[in-house]
Amino acid sequence: MHQLSRRRFIQSVAAMSSLAVTPARGKVSGRVVVVGAGLSGLNAALHLEHLGCEVAVLEARHRVGGRVYTLDHVAGHPEGGGNIFGGSYGRVLHTAQQLGVALRKPPRGLPSDFYVRGKVISASEWPDAPANQLPADWRELLPSRLQGRLQPSNPLLTTRNWLDPALNTADQNALDGMRALGFPDEAIRLIGANNSYGNRMADTSLLSLYRVRAEFSRLTGSQLSFTEAALGNQRLPEAMAAALKGQIRLSAPVRRITQDQSRVSIGLENGEMIDADALVMTAPLPALSKIEWAIPAERRRLIESVEYHKVLQAHLVVEAPYWEKRGQAGSWWTDGPLGRIFVRPIPGTARYNLTVWINGDDCDPLDAMPKADCQAEIVKQLYSLVPDAKGAVTIGDVVRWSTDPYAGGVWSLWRPGQAAQAHSALRAPLGRTYFAGEHTAISYRGMEGAMESGERAALEVARSLS
Amino acid sequence: MTHRIMLRALVTGAVVVALLPLPSFADELSGEALYGLACAACHNASAHVDHRVGPPLGGLYQRKAGSVEGYEYSAALEASTIRWTPAELTGWILDSEQRVPGSRMVYNNQLTIEEIQRLAAWLLDEPAS
Repeated sequence: MHQLSRRRFIQSVAAMSSLAVTPARGKVSGRVVVVGAGLSGLNAALHLEHLGCEVAVLEARHRVGGRVYTLDHVAGHPEGGGNIFGGSYGRVLHTAQQLGVALRKPPRGLPSDFYVRGKVISASEWPDAPANQLPADWRELLPSRLQGRLQPSNPLLTTRNWLDPALNTADQNALDGMRALGFPDEAIRLIGANNSYGNRMADTSLLSLYRVRAEFSRLTGSQLSFTEAALGNQRLPEAMAAALKGQIRLSAPVRRITQDQSRVSIGLENGEMIDADALVMTAPLPALSKIEWAIPAERRRLIESVEYHKVLQAHLVVEAPYWEKRGQAGSWWTDGPLGRIFVRPIPGTARYNLTVWINGDDCDPLDAMPKADCQAEIVKQLYSLVPDAKGAVTIGDVVRWSTDPYAGGVWSLWRPGQAAQAHSALRAPLGRTYFAGEHTAISYRGMEGAMESGERAALEVARSLS
Repeated sequence: MTHRIMLRALVTGAVVVALLPLPSFADELSGEALYGLACAACHNASAHVDHRVGPPLGGLYQRKAGSVEGYEYSAALEASTIRWTPAELTGWILDSEQRVPGSRMVYNNQLTIEEIQRLAAWLLDEPAS
C-alpha cells in the first residue's frame, strides 16, 4: 500500500510537470583520454568506463598513484605521499573496500619532544621552559597546537564557504591576519616554523588556514576513525588501475594538446598522437604549465600564479629505540631546519619508521643540492639534534616533491584572496578538456579531494558525451 | 548566494520544486547514472547499513530523516523533522550543509537543479528491500 501510494505520488508529480521518471537510459559513449593516473584520474576513468566510455589513461611516471606514493623499497613501506584516510573519506574508503584493498588502523606514532630556540624541551616542561617565550595565556599550549587558537574566529560554516567572494575579499596573509586577531609574534613564528599550508607566513592565506582548521574539527569531531592501506596506500590506485578495462600507459608524458570542435588531440613526448572525444586533465598546475597548449592568456597566467606547497621528506629506519636511553619521547617538533620528525613502530617488528618532514621555504637549500648531498645533510643535522641516533638508524630514501617535474609540490596553495576567482576559473572546462585533481576539489582536500574532483570531471564529460 | 536563495525557496514551499517544468533532454543522464556518479560511493540503495560512510537510501520516500536503525547520524539530522519527499530531497542534495547545519553529509559536486530533481525522483522510487 505504502509502495503504491508512493509510486502514484511520484507518477502524478511527473505527469504534472512533464518530468519523465526515466529508466536507466542510453549509455554515454565516446573515447576519453585521461591524463594522470593519480586518484583523480583513475576515479574519473572508472566512472566513465562504467557509464560506457572507452577510456585510455596516460601517465608520465613509471608508476600509477601520482602523489600517493608508498616507498615499497624501505622497511615498513612508509608513505612518501598521501598518508592517512580520514574517516569521512567516503569515496576512498568505499573504493578500497570494493577493490579488496585491506585497510588498517595506523600504528600509533610516538609522542614528541620539542627543540625550540636551540633547547631540547619535553612536552611537560614546555609551559615553564625558558625557551617558551609566549605570553602567560599562551604558554600552556604546545607549539604544535597553537594554530588551534584560530578556530573560535573561523568564519567557515560549510565546506564550500572558503570560495565565498566576500570572505576572499576580506582574506589576509597569515602574518597580518594573526596579528590582527591578537596572536603574539612568538606564536606566529612558531606556527610558521611548521606551516603545512603555505611556504612562508607572509603569503599564506588565512582563509586557507581556517579551511584546514574546519576540516580538522570535522574529521576529529566525528566518531569515525583514521585508516590507511595495510600494505601501503599506493595499493589503492594500483587496484583502481587494475580494475580499468581500458589501457593505462606509463612513462607517457604529454607534450602538447590541440583541440577543435570535434576532437582533442594529445601529443606524447615520443611524437605519438592520440585523438579523443574528450580529455580529462589531472596534471598538477606546475606540470600542466609545461604542456604546449593554446590556453587563453589569462588562464595561463592563473596556472602559473598558483604556488605549490614545498615538502621534503627523509625516510629512515630505526633499528633500536635510541630515545629510551635518555627518556625522550621519540618524535620531534622543532623550529629549526629539520621541521618535524615523526617516529612510529613497524607493526610486527622491533623497528620503527622515522620521517623527517620539512615544509615550505626551508626545503629550498636542500632541494638545490644533489640528492645524495641532501640526504647526507639531513642525516648530519639529525645526528646533531639526536646524537644517540648515530648507529641506530639506516637511511631509506629522500622524497623531494618540489623538484618532481610531475608534481611541483604536494598541494596547491591559494594566495590570500585568490581562491574565489582562481579556483573556479582553473577548473572550468576548456573546449573538450575537463579538469580534475586536488586543486579543483571543493569539499575535501588531499586524497578524498582528488577522488571528488575525478567524480565531478566524469559528470561533466558524461554530460557532454551523452 | 544563489544556492542559499534557491534553498530557502525550496524549503519554504515558495517553489514546489517537483512541479517545476523541466526541459526534456533526449540525451540526459538518467537518475540511476547520476546515483552512480554522485551517491553510490557513500550510500547503498538497499535498506541495510553496510561499510559505506552514509546511510542506506532504499525505501527513502516519506522516511523520517536520520531514522535508519544501526546507522549513527549527527545529532542535528536526528533532531530534524524532515521526511523525504521530492522537494525535501532536492533541497538536501542541493546544499545539505545549509539545510541542516551540523549534519555530516558533504556533497558539493555541481549537479544542475534538473539533475538533482531527476536523481531525487529515482532515489525516492527505490524500494526498501
